[in-house]
Amino acid sequence: MKKRVIIIGLDGVPYELIRDLSEKGIMPNVTKLLSRSSFRKMRSSIPEVSCVAWSSIITGKNPAEHGIFGFTDLCANSYKLRFPDFNDLKSRPFWENSLVKSVVINVPSTYPARPMNGIHISGFVSIEIKKSVYPSTLVPVLESIDYRLDVDSDKAHKSMDLFLEDLEKALGARIKTYEYLWDKIDWEIFMLVFTETDRLMHFLWNAYLDTEHKYHQDFLKCFKKIDNVIGDILSKIKESDSLIMLSDHGFEKLECDVYINWLLKENTFLDWTVGEEAGLENINSSTKAFALDPARIYVNTNVRFPRGSIKDWDKDKVLRDLESLFTGLTINGRKVIKSICRKEQIYSGPYLEVGPDLILLGNTGFNLRASLQSQGITGKGIFTGKHTQDNGFLILADAGGEINIPEYPSVCDFTSIINGLNN
Amino acid sequence: MEQLEKLENQSIFIIREAYRQFRSVAMLWSIGKDSTALLWLIRKAFYGRIPFPIMHLDTTYKFKEIYEFRDKYAKEWGLDLLVYKNEKAIEDEVGPSKRKFECCTELKTNALKEAILKNKFKAIYLGIRRDEHGIRAKERFFSPRDEDFEWNYKEQPPELWDQFKSKAKNEEHIRVHPLLGWRELDIWEYIKKENIPIAGLYFAKDGKRYRSIGCQTCCEPVDSSADTIDKIIEELKTTTVSERSGRAQDKESAYTMQKLRSLGYM
Repeated sequence: MKKRVIIIGLDGVPYELIRDLSEKGIMPNVTKLLSRSSFRKMRSSIPEVSCVAWSSIITGKNPAEHGIFGFTDLCANSYKLRFPDFNDLKSRPFWENSLVKSVVINVPSTYPARPMNGIHISGFVSIEIKKSVYPSTLVPVLESIDYRLDVDSDKAHKSMDLFLEDLEKALGARIKTYEYLWDKIDWEIFMLVFTETDRLMHFLWNAYLDTEHKYHQDFLKCFKKIDNVIGDILSKIKESDSLIMLSDHGFEKLECDVYINWLLKENTFLDWTVGEEAGLENINSSTKAFALDPARIYVNTNVRFPRGSIKDWDKDKVLRDLESLFTGLTINGRKVIKSICRKEQIYSGPYLEVGPDLILLGNTGFNLRASLQSQGITGKGIFTGKHTQDNGFLILADAGGEINIPEYPSVCDFTSIINGLNN
Repeated sequence: MEQLEKLENQSIFIIREAYRQFRSVAMLWSIGKDSTALLWLIRKAFYGRIPFPIMHLDTTYKFKEIYEFRDKYAKEWGLDLLVYKNEKAIEDEVGPSKRKFECCTELKTNALKEAILKNKFKAIYLGIRRDEHGIRAKERFFSPRDEDFEWNYKEQPPELWDQFKSKAKNEEHIRVHPLLGWRELDIWEYIKKENIPIAGLYFAKDGKRYRSIGCQTCCEPVDSSADTIDKIIEELKTTTVSERSGRAQDKESAYTMQKLRSLGYM
């Protein structure tokens, strides 16, 4: 008989937070789990956003192979933004590649749901419940337990109390769904992702750091609830089952936003027609480069863009100028950019061409944003936490000696680990 | 026969065929150019005395000029005008600035559902055209909707050699599309030929005109200097801008953008 594999994803949860909350007794079941597991820091994708990272986790491929470079992308030969979805993913997720029966709940970037061997409820950004669920016979059941596709993060911009109330409902419904589906079909892989963690950390990372904070206990409550689920799962699994927990990226305190397009405009890399609103569709042919969120830089080449002016033979010069601009960027005496990646260095595959030319990673606390509308190089919004690339986590329990996991795995290593377990 | 005459004949045939078949029918009038042209054809088909109601789904967000136009011609043409509003949704403050994604569903789709249920309509005439939007290209002249209002476009009756499937099961209703084969240009040439009155919003004012009209909150005028029907016809012959470019971008993208913005991902 094949081994069953249970995968629990905690979106955005950093290695250090798991360690901290388990040591403090907030997550006792995780502590129990860690005592019989390998516990590793895991590298996220570049850029370190959920859509790219989860796409790599479920396919084992890098963005130039799976085609997802960010939450937004550009229409062909255009400056028009589009929103890639599950149908833009160019590689198959592991549950479509095998005959293994799976239950997959709330994996980001898997909307719209499509037929598979098992049950699939898609995650962020899911729009309509009807298109988020396979098989569709499950829709009325989910509606009856008030299933939420996502927390309504708009609420946090108005009232943190309302946001937390909504978050609790979303988390509660997610848990009910897991309970309902656990025994529903005879699965071999059960994957459940909690995205409430990421939402919470965006708005209330400060409440985690500050034990006196009004919402400190609310922050911990979410993790306690998730720990209860882990305890519940531990009590249900058989000896032959394997349990994996992971996150897609880490989190840290956000000191300030840094607006890349503002920097490009100030340094004459980016320009739009006078009188026109700031918008990518209004940039003109004197533009040498522009950015998409979070910090993906595209050179405005004549082969790729309608008002592109940079010739192939000048592209490398532009890239070098950009690199020296970013390397030299300091705010309050601190270097802003940690690393500047050319796409050829970090990606390889058939879709390399459509990827951004440079991807930037910020130093601690600097939240890189594209933003065309900003009035200066820095700003600070409502968010108190930001994503990190180097400290996601991976916990692999009960694997015995058979599975070799790298010392410092990356999101792309995940599928080979489950394949190893499931065989 | 001229192109416009052929189109007119076919449309009138479909209009009469649907009425003969279903009797309990209504026409949906958005007061835009297409449905006003359709209304004109229906008046012609029944010699000026339309034997069924003309329905307007009022989202309460329409242009002032549209309401004025509606009331003026409803009276002048002696229409049996039915105005439907989803009062409950309006009370719940569903609107384009709040709960945008639900707005069209609640104020248009659900208002129509209610109207169909209440009046037991078996068929509804609509002025949609195949060249408006990719998904409309898949439409049929007689297009069934099931009780949940779902349109199963992968499984529609074929309409080969002008044979229309104008029968409906009990639980479904039929959407009748007499203008399906018309192009935007045909509509304007027909408006000119027949001298059909049309809302003033379509004509350029200060360098802008509306090419497609919905709710005031979700459509923008396009750049244009066409302030007469002739100039509009000229413009359409050369433009590369799409007809619905002034309509708010599709709802799914708007929703996604809002979700990404609220998390600082855009």
